[in-house]
Amino acid sequence: MGIYELSLATVVGINIILAVGLNLITGFCGQISLGHAAFYGIGAYTAALMAKAGMPGPVNLAAAMAMAGAVGVVVGMTSLRVREDFLAITTMGVGFLFLGIVRQQESLLGGELGISSIPTFGVGKMGFFVLVLVLAALSVAFSLYIKRSWMGFAFEAVADDEDTARVISVDVPAYKLAAFALGTALAGLAGGLYCYFARFIVPDDFGFITSISVLSMVAVGGIGSVYGVIVGTALLTLIPEFFRFISDYKLLVYGALLFGVMRFAPDGLAGLTRLAFRRIQRKGGAV
Amino acid sequence: MSPVFRAACERLTMLYFELLIQGLIYGSMYAIIAVGLTLVYGLLRILHVAHAGLFALGGYMGLLITNSTGSLILGMPLAAAIVGVVGMAIYRLCYQPILDQPPYVALIASIGLFIAMEEMFRLIFGPFGLTYTNAPLQSVVQFAGIYLRAVDLAIVVGSLSLLGALSWLSQKTRIGLAWRATVDDPQIAESFGISVLNVRYLNFFIGSALAAVAGVFISLLSNLVEPTMGGVPSYKALAIIVLGGLGNVAGTLIASLVLGVVEAFGTIYIGDILDRDAIAFAFLIIVLMIRPEGLFARR
Amino acid sequence: MVKKISIFALAVCLVAGLSGMANAADTIKIGFHAPLTGFAASDGKSSTEGAKLAVNQVNAAGGVLGKQLELVVYDDQAKPAQSIPIANKLIGQDKVVVGISGSYSGATRSAAGVFQEAKIPYISAYGIHPDITRAGEYVFRTSFLGEIQGHAGAKLLGDMMGKKKVVIITLQNDFGKSLAAGFKDKAADYGISIVNEYQYSIKDRQFGSIVAKVKADNPDAIYASGYYFTAGPLVSQLRAAGVTCPVIGQEGYDSQKFIEIAGPAAEGVIITTSLDRDSKVPETADFITAFEKQAGFKSDMVAASGHTAVMVAADAIKRAGSTDPAKVLAAIQTTNLKVSTGTIKFNALGEVMKAVQVQVVKDGNWHHYDVIDDAALLAPPAE
Repeated sequence: MGIYELSLATVVGINIILAVGLNLITGFCGQISLGHAAFYGIGAYTAALMAKAGMPGPVNLAAAMAMAGAVGVVVGMTSLRVREDFLAITTMGVGFLFLGIVRQQESLLGGELGISSIPTFGVGKMGFFVLVLVLAALSVAFSLYIKRSWMGFAFEAVADDEDTARVISVDVPAYKLAAFALGTALAGLAGGLYCYFARFIVPDDFGFITSISVLSMVAVGGIGSVYGVIVGTALLTLIPEFFRFISDYKLLVYGALLFGVMRFAPDGLAGLTRLAFRRIQRKGGAV
Repeated sequence: MSPVFRAACERLTMLYFELLIQGLIYGSMYAIIAVGLTLVYGLLRILHVAHAGLFALGGYMGLLITNSTGSLILGMPLAAAIVGVVGMAIYRLCYQPILDQPPYVALIASIGLFIAMEEMFRLIFGPFGLTYTNAPLQSVVQFAGIYLRAVDLAIVVGSLSLLGALSWLSQKTRIGLAWRATVDDPQIAESFGISVLNVRYLNFFIGSALAAVAGVFISLLSNLVEPTMGGVPSYKALAIIVLGGLGNVAGTLIASLVLGVVEAFGTIYIGDILDRDAIAFAFLIIVLMIRPEGLFARR
Repeated sequence: MVKKISIFALAVCLVAGLSGMANAADTIKIGFHAPLTGFAASDGKSSTEGAKLAVNQVNAAGGVLGKQLELVVYDDQAKPAQSIPIANKLIGQDKVVVGISGSYSGATRSAAGVFQEAKIPYISAYGIHPDITRAGEYVFRTSFLGEIQGHAGAKLLGDMMGKKKVVIITLQNDFGKSLAAGFKDKAADYGISIVNEYQYSIKDRQFGSIVAKVKADNPDAIYASGYYFTAGPLVSQLRAAGVTCPVIGQEGYDSQKFIEIAGPAAEGVIITTSLDRDSKVPETADFITAFEKQAGFKSDMVAASGHTAVMVAADAIKRAGSTDPAKVLAAIQTTNLKVSTGTIKFNALGEVMKAVQVQVVKDGNWHHYDVIDDAALLAPPAE
């Protein structure tokens, strides 16, 4: 693998952690978040500041997770107060608020100039890729585990219908907060990894567009489906690379694809695969 | 009171008054964009991000027609009509088939459509933006020491009268009755012989035409139409309709004006702490935490 | 359907194969990344056209080391997450001799680290962030630092124009912030008192409330940072509100589009930049006419910077007599080249040392106003 493929694969790995985290909140628990990039940013800034202060990498990644998760719980509390579309716009607001604060924090967070010269993780490019890969695999495994556990069942009940969930005595607020805590902690981890990858961060890396593209990865893959989300993430991350030869139309293709998948396959790639399987099975049955 | 102190007070009052007026101009601008969006939401429960793409399309159409005919009187209504029809087409081709899906499906489809539209504008009209060859409504009016351009006044007057006409349409006409019945319950409306499809078409036509009018106004304010001009409305209009209580037209108007004024004062007095977007959203979050259904809950 | 797809795939392979064959011809590759799509696409377009013009000119004059130059261009959308893989691709797959950024600071600073690590020379055409060149000795910049231009702005206002009561309107990004920092740094030296500072976001086009407040402040002059698409509306709204004091801008204004947007309000606006429109220097005058002929629109600072960066790279390869990165690096370090944006020399950090051009809008065009050539004031940091 050349250095180009290596850096691409690393980006894909980081995005998978990010998207799997959002899938926990939005896919499993049904709480739409349009501000996921804020937690990605909180993780990145936390890890960057600690790395610059000379703290070791693993500690910084853990701190990035803890910090993002803690803020995630606070933001999650808004989901106890507002629902559905109101929640979507509130989380979007949280994203803008985060960005606004970081932009004006010059002494601590570097303001518009961001944080540069972040030390490396110290394991080389290949080593770092392996680290990202392992963490991505762990996030995926964790996510699959949650889905099959009691917690996953409770999430599903909340996502389906909060009021019914309450009737069957699911502690709705607790599970909502849990979903936010876990999902945003994963975003924090992704952010920590990103700061070591780019070694330079500016507020714009964590803006509304980033939130939207993560949500798109989840939706294109198939909301709620862990494997779907992985495929969706890889696809949307690599699309700009596939379409480098038509540079000028790259973003147009991206937008059209987003629209096309939602319009013609609203359940995303996962739904499409399920459909294809069912057809094959039916055909097989006939023969 | 010493004369010096009084003069200082007067200057400050004057400044506040001017900021208030600027806030109302911002607010009127937001109102025309957001009302179309809230109409769509009220009827279909879709967060129609591509509305901002129609807003930019309106800017382009208005500018191109005005530049080639030399007449804004022609440019603005034509732009509104064209964009209104495009809006209807978007409903038919993009939203109607996915109406029974969960809300995020339409949201993401809409975002995809918006990105594609922005890129089309860039590819067709170039990345640098277009300007009026002879920008209309730029003459300056002066009263009580305040300088306003004709376009500033046109925005305030235009948005209030358009929204007034809209409320007349919905309250006093048969079309309005059908529209309100459909918003309340499409199935019952259908059983009373109302064509829900036609109501939806009309809804998209009016909403999109309003977006186009907003696009033309804003292009006149800055003498610039750019591919990315829908960027800010794409998210801020969402904040406004949520603030106004999703689907509530009067609430949206008031929310727009309030937000405009908050931004006008905020950028001057707390601009060091938060930027304009963050001020707007901080305000939104505070309001929603106190009133989870927005300033004015839906009827 | 399947058939159509396979035909399409075949066509793609064929095109890719053909271009691969063209690549195999003996050329010297220069890597270039710029935002060709997304919000920064206009600057990406200008800088790319400028770079292409330079390559065409070098090739028309016989190329370098007996070979033709080839510009490998990728779109980075001004995003670090894209510029890092691109930098790796330029180095690993395309094997470029020199990398050039026609992009913004974020994408440039991230890619700079990759080039430094691979020990391939890298030139930022107009990225403003002070830390870009601090990525290491392989990284250079052919444009001014924001701080340096801010220093020049303070001298222009306080010393050359004699304005003492100044309001600053700052664009809220790395460009605007570093300009404001540089301006404030030297303001006191020239007797300037700063009445107030206001900030706006790059997305703002309506400045009603700032204008109202500036009017109440009643300053002698306004130092406003911005790009043509923010500065155009800002200046016309200031003038419409009856604010008549001088407005001082910077290279971000430096585009014909600014005058188009602001119209008559643009008259008399003065900026610090690196392109002198009335220049009799052949390098600059030739560039201005050749660019308009090739690109179909008028040149601006970004275009001239893209052009300059490629010229510096070509000149260095020529003088090195080799494409060996270490030799090219040594050659860039000793650059002394007259190009469209002035005479380019680098200091130890890789920062450019050149004079600041002051331009004014007169009769709907940019014209010469003055030159600031104060070496001590304009000295970039050396570490």
